[in-house]
Amino acid sequence: MTRCALVAAVVVTLAALPRPGRAADASVVSAAEKEGKLVVYSTTDSAIVSALIKDFGAAYPKIPLEYNDMNSTELYNRFISEAAAGAGSADLLWSSAMDLQVKLASDGYAQEYKSPESSHLPSWAVWKDQAFGTTYEPIAFVYNKRLVKAEEVPKTHAELGKQLKEHPDRWKGKVTAYDPERSGIGFLLITQDSKLDPAFWETAKTFGTVSVKLYTSIGAMLERITSGEHLLGFDIFGSYATARQRKDPSLAIIYPKDYTLVMSRVAVLPKAAKHPNAGKVFLDYLLSKRGQELVAKAALFSIRDDVQGETTSASLQKELGQVLKPIPVGPDILDSLNQKKRLDFLKKWQQAIGTK
Amino acid sequence: MRPFRALVVLATAVAIVSPLALILYQSFLDAPFFQPSAHLSLEAFQFVFTDSDFHQSFARTLVLAAGMAAIAVPFGSALAFLVVRTDLPGRHSLEPLLLIPIFLSPVVLAFGYVVAVGPVGFFTVLSKELFGGAPWNLYTLGSITVIAGLTHIPHVYLYVSATLRSVASDLEEAASIAGAGPLRIATSVSLPMVWPAIVSSGVLVFFLGFEMFGLPLILGDPEGILVLSTYLYKLTNRLGVPSYQLMAVVAVVIMAIAFPLVFLQRRLLGVAARFVSMRGKGMARRPLPLGGFRWVAFALVVLWLIVTVGVPLSGALLRSLVTSWGEGVRLTEVLTLEHFKDLFDYPNLVRGIVNTLVIGVVGGALSVACYAAVALVSHRSQSVWTKAIDYLVMLPRGMPGLVAGLAFLWLFLFFKPIAPLRSTLFSVWIAYTVVWFAYGMRLISSALIQVGPELEEAALVAGASQAQVARNITLPLIRFGLLGSFLLVFMIFVREYSTAVYLLGPGSEVIGSLIVSLWATGAVDAVAALSVIDVVLVGAGLAIALRLGVRLHE
Repeated sequence: MTRCALVAAVVVTLAALPRPGRAADASVVSAAEKEGKLVVYSTTDSAIVSALIKDFGAAYPKIPLEYNDMNSTELYNRFISEAAAGAGSADLLWSSAMDLQVKLASDGYAQEYKSPESSHLPSWAVWKDQAFGTTYEPIAFVYNKRLVKAEEVPKTHAELGKQLKEHPDRWKGKVTAYDPERSGIGFLLITQDSKLDPAFWETAKTFGTVSVKLYTSIGAMLERITSGEHLLGFDIFGSYATARQRKDPSLAIIYPKDYTLVMSRVAVLPKAAKHPNAGKVFLDYLLSKRGQELVAKAALFSIRDDVQGETTSASLQKELGQVLKPIPVGPDILDSLNQKKRLDFLKKWQQAIGTK
Repeated sequence: MRPFRALVVLATAVAIVSPLALILYQSFLDAPFFQPSAHLSLEAFQFVFTDSDFHQSFARTLVLAAGMAAIAVPFGSALAFLVVRTDLPGRHSLEPLLLIPIFLSPVVLAFGYVVAVGPVGFFTVLSKELFGGAPWNLYTLGSITVIAGLTHIPHVYLYVSATLRSVASDLEEAASIAGAGPLRIATSVSLPMVWPAIVSSGVLVFFLGFEMFGLPLILGDPEGILVLSTYLYKLTNRLGVPSYQLMAVVAVVIMAIAFPLVFLQRRLLGVAARFVSMRGKGMARRPLPLGGFRWVAFALVVLWLIVTVGVPLSGALLRSLVTSWGEGVRLTEVLTLEHFKDLFDYPNLVRGIVNTLVIGVVGGALSVACYAAVALVSHRSQSVWTKAIDYLVMLPRGMPGLVAGLAFLWLFLFFKPIAPLRSTLFSVWIAYTVVWFAYGMRLISSALIQVGPELEEAALVAGASQAQVARNITLPLIRFGLLGSFLLVFMIFVREYSTAVYLLGPGSEVIGSLIVSLWATGAVDAVAALSVIDVVLVGAGLAIALRLGVRLHE
């Protein structure tokens, strides 16, 4: 009997203790546990965030997580089709295509939710309690440390333009960037550059003279830079480059000293969710201190002000301060989805780099 | 038999027409068909037809497809003749190797070439050190065409060899006794007898050139070489929000190309009776001696294997074992086994492998059963409906993967009776079966063409039912066609994923999709390791299957 009582006492005590990582409101959690399932559509590969997924599972064993990774176009297509069919869809959409995510919110697909964690986020990262920035990923120049000399490395956008202009033979075919015509994120980044860099169109012309190589996938670019096929990458995600650098030291990363763009993976809770409370629990967890520590560990750069250490916004702020220019989560970036403006920009770009 | 025939024709038509009709309808709208704001419009056609990128990529695709067929058809037919008919050294043990290019993911293939013979690939670096230069450039339309052609030789090989195996060799022996050399026998006797298989495979390979995506994506990227399928990719992004009507237009254009192709094929084959070569007599067979040409032929086959399998696979294998490569890297300093270890932490890896094998082996067998049913009911039938099927089966492959994926997602979403199947492997199987219909079925029908009607008639006269004739006469006679069809379908299903990209989810992931999603996030280490495992697994499976298959039938 006493043993039984002892076991019971231990069980009760354990249950009462705060479990690791639990963040959300208790009533939301119990509603989510009744829903009994959570479906996430994400552009972040499950291999990168496997620690986060496991930890969520440990914190909320009654909310089994079904994590679907896919590319950003697939995510958008799948979601709007499912919503239109009334078939129910994911409980949370987590995508690096910031503009498409904000578009979903502004088209009325998103639920409003006041996350208790949003007070720890910068104000530009939350739009109408419908779209939430979850990471703080700086956009960098990267280069091949084996083959590029220290004095050749540009520290600012102006230096980049100058370096390419002065040594066109050295850089011919050796510079790589996202193709804004074929990559959504590439387009978003380069339109931001065109606003922040007064010499942007000048540099674009120089890209043309050195026959810049344009790609659609980050893997192709990083691989070709580290192999020496190309030497320098423009507008590269600092997050992926850091992950790559941990395995392959021949890659070096430069955060430009005049301005460093910051992008953020945006989470949206869709109205079409089958398990709306489970989606909220995941959002709160992702934005919680614990969740953000794991985000930092995955080299995706934590966005919370109270997470310290490497690959966090705090460490970047210390290093770069005012130079950081986050792309705000909000209707400003919808500009890039305006058809007329988009085609005009692309035409100007093609003319500058000389492909048309 | 009659109700069975009607049922098969009807089921096939429904399965094929429904995704196509949806895409056709979408191409005439100005917004996604499921949005209330969608109206009928020709805007999408106007946009695509006046886009200079479209003209350029269309012309390039024609060159690519024609070049591919021009390389794959003659070499594939010659290879089939050598392996099936002659005393080529090591022909039995070579066979699994010959088939590797079919199941290799195009992403892996292209990437393997980049690592091996790209501008800083290890063969290129070696050649620069030895000869002061490298006489090739991987990133041209010419290189893409040659690689595509060489890697599609096995497709033609499968079609021609499966048919050749069912043909009696008495005519060839007669020619040999009359003093004809191997080349003469091949060109005047053997290959003309299997003309239907050669024509079918040529048409199919040409058509595959229109849909091919991974190879031109990776090898065309650096120089911005666009073909239709990669142009489609650009279209999805050009306007920011995916514009289905534009994608649908491109798919409709490709499908339109299927009609003249099938028509041409029917003309080339003319009256099927000319190719009847399997009559009611024995089929003893003895390999033709190649004489002095024996080792030359062997050397050519090995050279081809080195270029199409050895080079890219050595690239992928090397990449899976190093942390870094390229100019200025000493390989001995960067060797590692970490990528393989990391791979085993990957969630769902084992399930992905199991699913891939299930869809390949079980799904492949079921699909072949369906294809055989359709081939049987169209065989010897002169009705308009069965002729229509001939055209119909080609069309689904006219939808490039990106579009086919959406079409199947929409079917399973908006057609409520089948909605519950959406996130199961079954939906994936249906999608694969429909898209690869022509490719599996043509193998069976070119074998069927060769069966003389008198065998079936004899059985009918003796009182057998139609079903008994099919089961006891026709099917056993085309067993090599069936086996070949199964091999092809198995390998294609193992590699495929884009058709089902929107149907795959946790529980139904396959290796093909893992490779592509890893590639997209830049996890090239994992891609390389995974593809090595993939090749080893499927290659071993294939070797065993061929062993068993050969034992069963000879």
